[in-house]
Amino acid sequence: MGSVGEEEQMKQTPSVQRPTPNLEISPRGATSNIKHGTSNILFRLVGLVIAGVFIYAGAIKALDPVQFANDIDNYKILPWPISVALAFYLPWLEIFCGFALIVRLFYRGALSILTALILVFTLATIAAKIRGLDITCGCFGHASQNWSFPAHLATNVAILAALLALWISSRSAKPL
Amino acid sequence: MRSPLVRQILILVALALAPGIGQAVYFRHKVSWQSPIPPSELVTVDQARVWGKNVIWVDARPDDEFASDHAPGAISLNEDRWNELLPQFLAEWSPGKKVVVYCSSLSCNASREVARRLRKEAKLPDVFVLEGGWEAWVKKNR
Repeated sequence: MGSVGEEEQMKQTPSVQRPTPNLEISPRGATSNIKHGTSNILFRLVGLVIAGVFIYAGAIKALDPVQFANDIDNYKILPWPISVALAFYLPWLEIFCGFALIVRLFYRGALSILTALILVFTLATIAAKIRGLDITCGCFGHASQNWSFPAHLATNVAILAALLALWISSRSAKPL
Repeated sequence: MRSPLVRQILILVALALAPGIGQAVYFRHKVSWQSPIPPSELVTVDQARVWGKNVIWVDARPDDEFASDHAPGAISLNEDRWNELLPQFLAEWSPGKKVVVYCSSLSCNASREVARRLRKEAKLPDVFVLEGGWEAWVKKNR
């Protein structure tokens, strides 16, 4: 910050440039800043993609909750009334969490919920495979009807990895 | 005081409740909370028998189970060979006929899924799921 004398001088002679603080940015610091900026953009993109995936998955299931209830019931883990309740509730939870990632409001809360959801979905898919159930995952409504077990698993693991990466990045970025 | 993370989770969980409840109210007539199959789409062996020749029996079990035994006159239509078997079934179907789909037992899903696809994809009315499946049919007829 300039002194009162400097301010007075600037008022009198507007062409005089305000003295800049004598801060030199070292080449290493500049590279680090660029790297940090690039990784921030990358994580933001990953966040947007993950948000889009969950909003799409939620919307497609919210459009046909009866089918989603049947998909949950096919896992033979939960009683039918709970499958119905989850079929009405989970798609909206996915949608809200997806939007939370986009607007970065309740960001870590959304990341936690989505990580928990994807873990549960993955475990349920593995359990179904072990029990020999040949079922559609219902993850993306009927869009995922013909997915194989490895495709389900690979998708879930990729989403889980992305969520974990976002978790790690959020610890330094300090969003809301 | 709760941590910010827990508070965020609770807020998101609570927010999603409102549209979920709204949707449950909106779909209250389209889904039963008691059974995966709404009572209006379920039929017993005795009820189906009353319909007599006006019924097409559809066997939704795998090919090998159909080959070993099936209801007299039943048509095989399972999801494994859906595209192949559907035209054969449609050739037998005519307007006014009731379709009764069965699979192995009370707990199987194949009949429900085949019935759903017949209604949705083939746009057929009067498609029912046999309560108790093949097991119930055998008990009543053998």
